[in-house]
Amino acid sequence: MAVALARKSLLHDWRRFLPAIMSVGFSGVLIIVQGALLLGIVGSNALPVTQSRADLWIGFPGTQSADLGRSIDAGVSAELLVDPRIRRIEPLLMGAGDWRGSRGGGVSVTLIGIDARPDALGLARSVPPAVRALLEEPATILVDDGDLDKLATAIGEAAEINGHRVRVVGTMQGMRAMGGVNIVASLATARTLDRSLAAPDSVTYYLAGLWASDQARAVRARLSKPDTRSRFEIWTAADLAGRSVRYWLLESGAGIGFVFATAIALLVGTLITSQTLMAAVAASTPQYATLRAIGVAFPKLRLIVVEQAGWVGAIGLALGLTGSLLAAGLARLNGIPFALGPGIMALSGALVLAVALLAGVLALRRLRHADPAALLR
Amino acid sequence: MPPSLSVSALSKSYVVQGIRTQALSDVSLSVDPGALSLISGPSGCGKSTLLSLMSGLSRPDRGAVHALGIGLGTLDDAARDAFRLAHCGFVFQGFNLFPALDACEQVQLVLDYQGVPDGEARRRAREALELVGLGRRSHLRPAELSGGEKQRVAIARAIVKQPRLLFADEPTSALDSVNGAVVTTLLRDIAHRSGAIVVCVSHDPRLIARADRVIEMEDGRLLRDSRDPCSPRRLETSR
Ligand SMILES: Nc1ncnc2c1ncn2[C@@H]1O[C@H](COP(=O)(O)OP(=O)(O)O)[C@@H](O)[C@H]1O
Ligand SMILES: [Mg+2]
Repeated sequence: MAVALARKSLLHDWRRFLPAIMSVGFSGVLIIVQGALLLGIVGSNALPVTQSRADLWIGFPGTQSADLGRSIDAGVSAELLVDPRIRRIEPLLMGAGDWRGSRGGGVSVTLIGIDARPDALGLARSVPPAVRALLEEPATILVDDGDLDKLATAIGEAAEINGHRVRVVGTMQGMRAMGGVNIVASLATARTLDRSLAAPDSVTYYLAGLWASDQARAVRARLSKPDTRSRFEIWTAADLAGRSVRYWLLESGAGIGFVFATAIALLVGTLITSQTLMAAVAASTPQYATLRAIGVAFPKLRLIVVEQAGWVGAIGLALGLTGSLLAAGLARLNGIPFALGPGIMALSGALVLAVALLAGVLALRRLRHADPAALLR
Repeated sequence: MPPSLSVSALSKSYVVQGIRTQALSDVSLSVDPGALSLISGPSGCGKSTLLSLMSGLSRPDRGAVHALGIGLGTLDDAARDAFRLAHCGFVFQGFNLFPALDACEQVQLVLDYQGVPDGEARRRAREALELVGLGRRSHLRPAELSGGEKQRVAIARAIVKQPRLLFADEPTSALDSVNGAVVTTLLRDIAHRSGAIVVCVSHDPRLIARADRVIEMEDGRLLRDSRDPCSPRRLETSR
């Protein structure tokens, strides 16, 4: 193998390059952790959707976010079942309540009513059949594991919601909301607890399961006709979840904050990295000038600097990803919503590599000092 | 055909902050192959400027440089780069070695840029290091070499591509007398053995004593041109 000048210099002078590698790594961690936290927090508004196994969601036209659903006419289900590709339809109710625990304390809660049959779609990912069956008993509820402290309650204890007595019969995972508390009950219990859900001819959403999930878009296209759009709207689960996240990113201003903080992280990363690379180029100026003297073309020298920038970016990114995985582990241990998905990792990886390469390009200006005639003084 | 190098009516001036310095005025010179030609003279008299023009590192204001039958003045920057890559070796006062590379890699790097296959490049790099007497130290980095050894690595780097033109600017002025003598002898032997054109700039008497030809300069002009200065009397006076 030919002499790997860029790589060998980096290894030999690793102390010189360390600040750049660290700053790239920290930029990466900052972007990923911020983004994952933000998506985790904002994504908790889409939990009813992401924790269910429905292919299609049917709800009030123009609903911006899953947690903002309004009631639609229960008769809609008959229209939907006409399509033979639909396997099952079930309602999901969303209301509000005022929680009073047996040990005192009041909290406003979000009330979610789900079909309690074992093969139901609603919150199927959070509420396994065995736990779901407990809801068949009237006036029973489930709370998230992580909310037991906040609600000052435990399994088996009684409480009041909107003045109605309920009993906590079990816990679920992955339904912890930021700011609020999700309480899950059967459809019948939900209707008794929140008076606005009482009318049996209205539901908040219908959840549709298809025989073949890949048919979701086709079924949606067929069922959303101009004359139905005033009464209900159909979304695929991914659509409604995405729409909820986007709505809260913009509505809360957190999205802007993320963009702003990311921009700062990138700027600082670029500055530190380019300064480091410039210093490295400056330290090697006589050597580069000697290469120029023996006829090595300028673009070949540029390649050395850009390759070093690439290595700095790659090593920094590896550090950043490692740090982010650690952060994800910590978040999981503490029950903090942390949505570390491939999207945010790819985004931050691309940004961080771009930072390193941009810094490398900035450092190229220093190569102009590598003038061989300057060695002859 | 033996290599040839000649310059005619070369002039070069520099303007710094509105003040013009005439570094070289109307210099004409022809250098012989197979001999160590030395350009000497007081500091600031234009020696390095002449070397830089002869080797195609910079362009004259007036005059022409003919090297190996090519008019360097007619070449653009890229073509002069290519000319130097193919034909020129350089040794500078500072050794300018990469701290991260061992001696063998410093030398091999040149051949990499010439597109020489890896195995052959490494073999030739070892040979060049043998030639300068560093065969056993080819695995050492600059930090582990003495000043004289570093300059010998730099010489190996300059000669590994077997250039027909070898230029050295004050190659001994950073070295003690023993190492200076070693480097000087080395440069002359290379000239004699390879038949290359070797031009060296120096005001070091040790070098002057061993050169085949001494070209003395003053104030941007040639002053004296003496071939074979190695007579014993000349040695006496230069001490
Ligand atoms: N790049 C440059 N810019 C301005 N002046 C220069 C430059 N190179 C050389 N000079 C001037 O030209 C003159 C000759 O310089 P140089 O050839 O380096 O002399 P020498 O090598 O004999 O000491 C000096 O007066 C020097 O100051
Ligand atoms: Mg000089």
